Amino acid sequence: MAPQPQTTVARVRRSNAAVLTAATALGFLAALSVSAPILIAADPLAINPSHVLASPDLVHPLGTDELGRDLLARVVYGGRVSLTVAAAAVLIAGTLGVISGVAIAFFSPRLESAMMRIIDVLVSLPEIFVAIVVLAFLGGSFWALIGTIGVLYFPQFARVAYGMARSIRARDHVTAAVSLGAGRLWLIRREILPNMRSVIAVQASFTFSFAMLLEAGLSFLGLGVHPPTPSWGQMIGTLKDYIFINPWPVLVPSIVLFAVVLSINVLGDWLQDRLNPELRR
Amino acid sequence: MHRFVAHRFVSSLITMALASIVVFLSIHLLPGDPVVMVLGEQAGADPMAVARVRAELGLDLPLPTQFVRWASAVLHGDLGHSLRSGEPVVAELARRIPRSLEIIFGGLVAAVVFGIPLGTIAARDRGRVSGLIASIVAIAGFSAPVFVSGIILVLIFSLWLGLLPSSGYVALDDDPLTHFACLVLPCVAIGINFMGVVARMTRSSLIDTLSKDYVRMARAKGLTRGQAMTRHALPNALVPVIAIVGIRAGNLLGGTVIVEALFDWPGLSSLLVSACFARDYPVMQGCLLSIFAIFIVISLLIDIAQSIVDPRVRTGTK
Repeated sequence: MAPQPQTTVARVRRSNAAVLTAATALGFLAALSVSAPILIAADPLAINPSHVLASPDLVHPLGTDELGRDLLARVVYGGRVSLTVAAAAVLIAGTLGVISGVAIAFFSPRLESAMMRIIDVLVSLPEIFVAIVVLAFLGGSFWALIGTIGVLYFPQFARVAYGMARSIRARDHVTAAVSLGAGRLWLIRREILPNMRSVIAVQASFTFSFAMLLEAGLSFLGLGVHPPTPSWGQMIGTLKDYIFINPWPVLVPSIVLFAVVLSINVLGDWLQDRLNPELRR
Repeated sequence: MHRFVAHRFVSSLITMALASIVVFLSIHLLPGDPVVMVLGEQAGADPMAVARVRAELGLDLPLPTQFVRWASAVLHGDLGHSLRSGEPVVAELARRIPRSLEIIFGGLVAAVVFGIPLGTIAARDRGRVSGLIASIVAIAGFSAPVFVSGIILVLIFSLWLGLLPSSGYVALDDDPLTHFACLVLPCVAIGINFMGVVARMTRSSLIDTLSKDYVRMARAKGLTRGQAMTRHALPNALVPVIAIVGIRAGNLLGGTVIVEALFDWPGLSSLLVSACFARDYPVMQGCLLSIFAIFIVISLLIDIAQSIVDPRVRTGTK
């Protein structure tokens, strides 16, 4: 039942096409977000009461929202918020996670199992419930979102980093280095961290899409950035109430969000296959 | 078997105890004061009233004492009264929890019913167009945020086809037919995402299993490909799928937050959200406690189910 050689090649080519499309889409979006003030003439906050919930026309290429604001501008500016929150949250989660995972593996042999048990409980917590409670009390804001999401996802990185640190330390060349007198910090810097780079990269790509979805969900519920600043989840949450007047506006941020998450997942899969073929199941 | 179940049961109880401490502390760790919530505007004006309410709520006692009082009340089935309505929290929870479980259960069924065949097709037809399409549907389902799939479902089935209500809730006793009509879209919306997970897991696990010697053996003794698949490969391939269903069932619970908001379904999650916005501490604690309990019970049941399917789990051999 092994695939024929040529179908394997065809498969690889097809999957590369998907990866290329995903990467292009993400790159395009990132470029658009960065250069938004130059490229987008419309003001995302400018209200026009006489032109609300409009389908696309020449002035508003993606139509307008419930207050007559330009949807193209709002989607692009909303993307800046969504992408920045997700990226910063991943950075926080990754840094905290790698530091604590490696630290647990190296510096607390007695506490090891207790610490990892705590991490296991943290990983199994349903993130969104914790996030709702915390944000309802902190009040939703850009920084509150980043902090909350970042802290919520750090245990996953800690678990991965801990596992990697343990397995790398057991390798023969590391044992050899230790017997030659290598210190723990030297080991971590020269052996452990470089060797776990790829695993952490894969984890980061998946966490990025989780963080994005969590941000969108929280903003959808009204716990994210404050209006009038747009974010995709918040736009969907507001525009869904007008679906029976004109279904178009709510579809714009929905489809963009979906396309971005899909692209990230495709890239994450590819990264997984490329960097850690032994983990592929 | 009994020992395994007893062991898992005890560790679930310990987790629940830890969770209840977290829930209890949440009210103290978070900014805001329940006394202000009870008294409203006059809290600042009348220090006597503040002290009286504080004593009524037991907030003047040391933390460990408060926890023991709270925990023993919880164990007696008393979660306090809502600060908004004055109603017992337990009564409200008893109404809400079944509604959320309905959505979770329906979503789980939808995910398994669509996900396993989808994953099987993707694995069986690997390298062919049908397999590719199945894989694409799976990753699309996996990537679709709940509110995006929900909105598209509303568009198709409510706005265009007019088959199902777009949102709302009707009690089962009042009108069973409308009740289930209202239930369909939330369940499918929450299930689509999970379907992607199940399909991807089924696919990779099945591809792995199909290359095993015993499957080749089954083919060699004269079974057709389909027979080898359904009798030998699938049952073994589904073991890790059950595991992932269990691990991710908690995510389904998380998904109810969005689905209940999108479809105006008055379940547990929407109660938590409204209680948080209103600073209704007893209701909030009750919701969180129920959510943790549901979560822990689901994972306990899944572990037991898995130990029945796969004896290696309970003996600890890998």
